[in-house]
Amino acid sequence: MYDLIYLPGMASGFGESTSRPSQGPSFSSSNNNNSDAGNFECNICFDLAQDPIVTLCGHLFCWPCLYKWLHIHSHSQECPVCKALIKEENLVPLYGRGKTSTDPRSKAIPGINIPNRPAGQRPETAPPPEPNHFPPRGFGFMGGLGGLGGFAPIATTRFGNFTFSAAFGGLIPSLLNFQLHGFPDAAMYGATAGFPHGFSNSFPGGHPHRYHLHRATGQGQQDYFLKMLFLFVVVCVLVALMWQ
Amino acid sequence: MTSSSASGRKTLSKIACNRLQKELLEWQVNPPAGFKHKVTDNLQRWVIEVNGAPGTLYSNETYQLQVDFPEHYPMEAPQVIFIPPAPLHPHIYSNGHICLDILYDSWSPAMTVSSICISILSMLSSSTMKQRPEDNDRYVKNCRNGRSPKETRWWFHDDKV
Repeated sequence: MYDLIYLPGMASGFGESTSRPSQGPSFSSSNNNNSDAGNFECNICFDLAQDPIVTLCGHLFCWPCLYKWLHIHSHSQECPVCKALIKEENLVPLYGRGKTSTDPRSKAIPGINIPNRPAGQRPETAPPPEPNHFPPRGFGFMGGLGGLGGFAPIATTRFGNFTFSAAFGGLIPSLLNFQLHGFPDAAMYGATAGFPHGFSNSFPGGHPHRYHLHRATGQGQQDYFLKMLFLFVVVCVLVALMWQ
Repeated sequence: MTSSSASGRKTLSKIACNRLQKELLEWQVNPPAGFKHKVTDNLQRWVIEVNGAPGTLYSNETYQLQVDFPEHYPMEAPQVIFIPPAPLHPHIYSNGHICLDILYDSWSPAMTVSSICISILSMLSSSTMKQRPEDNDRYVKNCRNGRSPKETRWWFHDDKV
């Protein structure tokens, strides 16, 4: 209760409360309820940290409190809690989700201008995932299904075939047919004398049929995944084209 | 003597008020062993009863600490003295002033009344002889017109007691 009351205006709310006779009980009850909040109290003013900032030694302060201590009252650049050396460029601000900017001067003594709190040191963003790495999950998933047997993937392909042929008309069905025939097992590749659309040459890598014939089943599955990838790329291109 | 120096003090800032209330609450919930806060309605001056720790030179003795808080507490250290008669100790003068670095140069705003009390009790407990500081008479004479110990330029030379 206590914190709820004073959070919005910690600095302003307190002067009045000192004269309130009923403060005692409310204080003690709130203290018990909010013992966890103590982890987020400034080590100087003992309030919930405003513009919170953490030293390298891990001690939390309000930025205005720490600034005033280091620049006005202290003789040394030491952490008030553990006396570790404090360098301003090593302070870490904490950015919570709540209101983003409080006025840093709200705690200031008149005539003392407290600068903005040091900004966080931001490492580079993580590199975007490479396109090759995009479907690994899908690959794994499909690989699993493929291992179980041909049924589910075929169904999927058929479904895809249906959908896409319905959607895109003549061009895509040929691709999807290729896909459909390509999947079930390696022998089929070889056997597909009537590879109906003559697609094999333009397939990435241009593997001749013979090649597939001699491959182990596992590699045939790999091939299947490559084809799925190719299909995916083609669909992407088409969607992009349609989008334009 | 000390009251005159305290009465001229500025009233507590809002931040100081806020913090002292929290300290008082914390004290009420979890007082340091051997200490008793004498209840007053004055947040700016605390009077605390100290009981010498059992098994030390000061066991079964009771003294009173007077803690006065400056306007900008905790950025500035409180003034802490024994209300005479002060315990006989090599670092405690007969006027109640205490030669203890955390009360002056080594003050940190993360310290509390409670932590000061524990330091003082530790200082008493580690004493091996009941005697006044060597320069007691000279120092007390110097402080006669109510000087605060915070104005003294202390020389902290002994880290054993």
